Amino acid sequence: MITLTIALRNIFRHKTRSLITLSTIIFGCTAIIFAGGFFEDVFYKMRESYIHSHTGHFQIFRKGYWEKGNSQPYNYLIDNPDEIISHLQAIPGIKFITSRLQFSGLISTGENTVSCIGMGIDPGYENQDIPAGANLRKMSDAMTLEGPVIIQGKALTKNNPYTVMLGKGLASSLGITAGDPLIILTHTTGGSINALDVTAQGIFMTSSKEYDDHFLRLSLVTAKKLLHTDSVQSLVIMLDKTEDTAGVKKALARVFQDKKLDLELKSWDEISDFYRHTVNLFNRLFLILKLVIAIIVILSIFNTMNMAVLERTDEIGTIMALGTKKRGVLSLFMHEGLGLGIIGGSFGVAIGTALTHCIARIGITMPPPPGASMPWVSEPRIVLTTVVFAFMTSILTALVSSLYPAYSASRLEIADCLRHK
Amino acid sequence: MSIVKLEKICKNYTLGKTTLNALKNIDLNVEQGEFIALAGPSGSGKTTALNIIGCIDKPSSGKVFIDECEISYLSSDGLADIRAGKIGFIFQNFNLLPVLNALENVEYPLLHKKMAFHKKRKLAQEALESVGLGKYARHRPMELSGGQQQRVAIARALSTSPLMILADEPTANLDHVTGTEILTLMKKMNLERKTTFIFSTHDQKVMEIADKVVRLWDGEISS
Repeated sequence: MITLTIALRNIFRHKTRSLITLSTIIFGCTAIIFAGGFFEDVFYKMRESYIHSHTGHFQIFRKGYWEKGNSQPYNYLIDNPDEIISHLQAIPGIKFITSRLQFSGLISTGENTVSCIGMGIDPGYENQDIPAGANLRKMSDAMTLEGPVIIQGKALTKNNPYTVMLGKGLASSLGITAGDPLIILTHTTGGSINALDVTAQGIFMTSSKEYDDHFLRLSLVTAKKLLHTDSVQSLVIMLDKTEDTAGVKKALARVFQDKKLDLELKSWDEISDFYRHTVNLFNRLFLILKLVIAIIVILSIFNTMNMAVLERTDEIGTIMALGTKKRGVLSLFMHEGLGLGIIGGSFGVAIGTALTHCIARIGITMPPPPGASMPWVSEPRIVLTTVVFAFMTSILTALVSSLYPAYSASRLEIADCLRHK
Repeated sequence: MSIVKLEKICKNYTLGKTTLNALKNIDLNVEQGEFIALAGPSGSGKTTALNIIGCIDKPSSGKVFIDECEISYLSSDGLADIRAGKIGFIFQNFNLLPVLNALENVEYPLLHKKMAFHKKRKLAQEALESVGLGKYARHRPMELSGGQQQRVAIARALSTSPLMILADEPTANLDHVTGTEILTLMKKMNLERKTTFIFSTHDQKVMEIADKVVRLWDGEISS
């Protein structure tokens, strides 16, 4: 107890020096919590916008599509989507299941023709009418949580099948605006050429510039007519919460096995290579940042503890003369390091979470990320694991940096210490 | 009963290529309850002798017996146990721990004793009162005068009821009146508690209070 008392009182003995050391720990802790929250927000927004605009939480294909579907897409169509949906839709956590039919072709204004990828979707599920609006934050949120936003015109409706929505870049290449007539030209599943007159109902935007440059969306019914098929290419499953992905995946696999469904299942994280690579890259960057912060904190505490040992050499001699053993001296300085770590870590956690919360409320406008065309608003998140990590790092770095000074102190000769002035 | 016995103690310090013989073949025997002064000028070996008796320094050769136990072969932990259990220290510069108050400073050596907290506190309070500083229990060293600090140091040395108390020039940093008070207090404790005191000094007036004066000159006992 008295060791702890001495340790704590010594921490506050040199107020300015302790304050500087504590500031370093607090800064490090805050930086980790904020940076971790920032990266988590990047991951969250990227993940959710990919899921809601492109991949869904799961995609179901006919077996073999994932390997060979790119070259022979129409050999792997699903003929009985409604039956499959009826088997799966009762699984808890599933919000909805919808069908998609994708094709490549040409789209033309008559004067201007460009290649495109068409995606037949069910407007009842996948095409909420989300207006762009002027508020960047609201638009960013909508894109993250609800899918493509309409920047011009209107969304697709079931009642008006001969309409399409074009990505912003594609519309720009064609030089069209909402309401303009267009012709889509593609191969049917049988190999013949088919064309369809449609109207550009609206222009949309997603988080991916590449997608917006090449994709158009049209009603699934229209896509089926264009391709001369009643089949679909994939089933897309949306969940209530992304966190349920692993649980629902297991349930889906069980149903596939029970019903002997000859299908393959891909979750959003298996489909989104870009997301996976980005997370890996950012995690590596975060690790480097954490290491740099830890080294700065270690050096700062090391300096403080070394100074303490030098200044208190005669005290070390005194307590050893009074019967304190070497490990007692070691323990005293380790307690001081631990005290610095706990105090600094506690304040760091408090300040770090408060600052992250405040910045999240204000939001930071960030430039468009690679592969996107729209700026976004970062709202750093308070991540419990990062907060715990930051606190534990404060304590651990404090202990590590105290180890050598404490060891040196415990190795001092008493007589030399008592002579020290 | 002999509580300290030094046999042919030598202590050499190597300073570069030069070897300094701080103690040369010292023999000393201290009996229980004695009040002994180690006298001599600066550099005569007084502090070195006290350090060896106090188990805070080891001799280059010779044997040291504390309470009839030879300590030459003890580990640093063994020596620490002897210091904690059998020896009290009073230093020239008082050497109180500045972050602890007077009572906590007196209590510090009791940290190494296995006894209840309240008993340690009671012993510390009694020791502090025995040196007349009961009212100053909550004062930090910097709030006390030099004389008061040395009294706290005496209380600290007495708190464990040691076999002997070693004092290295305890009055050197005090004015004459306060120094005399401190010596009087030490003598009183020696008489009342039968605690052995061994102290170093080069002050003739201080030597006059001692029961026995061991004079050191250039590392050797001269009388």
